[in-house]
Amino acid sequence: MAKPRELRRRIKSVQSTRKITKTMELVATSKLKRAQDRVVATRPYAAALAEVIGDLYAPELAERFPLLRQPRVPGVGRVALVVITANRGLCGAFNANLIREARRRIEQLEGDGAAVDLHLIGKKGITYFKFAKRPVASQRTDVGDKPKPEHAAEVMDPLMTQFASGALDAVEVVFAQFKSAISTPPTTLRILPVAPPRAAAGGSGRQQAVNYILKPSAEAILEQLLPLYVRNQMYRALVETAAAFLGAQRTAMKNATDNAGDIIELLQRTYNRARQAQITQELAEIVGGAEALKG
Amino acid sequence: MHVTVVSPVQAVFDGVADAVVAPAYDGLVGILPRHAAFLTLLGTGKLTLRQGATTTRLQVSGGFLQVVQGGDTVRIVADRVDQS
Repeated sequence: MAKPRELRRRIKSVQSTRKITKTMELVATSKLKRAQDRVVATRPYAAALAEVIGDLYAPELAERFPLLRQPRVPGVGRVALVVITANRGLCGAFNANLIREARRRIEQLEGDGAAVDLHLIGKKGITYFKFAKRPVASQRTDVGDKPKPEHAAEVMDPLMTQFASGALDAVEVVFAQFKSAISTPPTTLRILPVAPPRAAAGGSGRQQAVNYILKPSAEAILEQLLPLYVRNQMYRALVETAAAFLGAQRTAMKNATDNAGDIIELLQRTYNRARQAQITQELAEIVGGAEALKG
Repeated sequence: MHVTVVSPVQAVFDGVADAVVAPAYDGLVGILPRHAAFLTLLGTGKLTLRQGATTTRLQVSGGFLQVVQGGDTVRIVADRVDQS
């Protein structure tokens, strides 16, 4: 049996671990609340933009807009894959899941004969692909917990230019979809070519748009709005991943706190037993000594 | 009429206004209730929402303005919105 002093030391060590994980849990919870609000706040803009683009879109326009150009042969060509991970760990399998999804997608694309450019956002993904010795087209770590639309624009604008010029055939992003604080499945989303959002219910969009006074023209409006839509998709991927990370971290830290509590309980019980055994033994020795003096 | 102003980050304004003056791509447009269905690109400039004696001013840039059919709902979806 372990010495009582040894046990005391371990109890103290686990207690301070629990204090740290508990604090991290609380911090993640409070940040998560605000991150969740940010996810919700992006929805009206995205919905309004999608609706108008859906209304204005017509299949015959697809050839006129570079951003709508569908690849001639699916799967062949050059694909940019943007992989979003967190900058920090201590969040369970969150980053590992994102990296696994990214690897799955890379294998799939390369299996189809496409060349894949990797664009990494977040330290964890960068570390992994450096370890895997895979060449990377770009990387950045400055996005953090509060992504801004400017971040998304900086990531997407060069890719949009490359796509429009024909150097890229598709742009996809791997991110954590924020369904709820506990459900954050890693997801691959194709941003370019733009999949036109479905026209609002009630007639194919074109007819609805005809009733509108359009200035300057449907084409010109579409040309201006498509890049906004593309940037917004990237922005939402960043915001959702940031919120999902905090959700994953909170869950991981809650589990760690609970486990530390279990360990403390177990150690405390062992310690009490050891202490009691020591007292019993000392008593027996005293009684034995007294008996010996009597005799 | 009901007016909403949204930016990529959040819904900035959601309420009622008697008149809207917005910076379209080629100059200011004024929207009053019962305007025809209308969709225009926005430029950069000051958006003014007037409700009785109170006026709300916002700096907007990019995006579009939409008067929904019926003319009693106006949506302003801007790439950038700043309080001014």
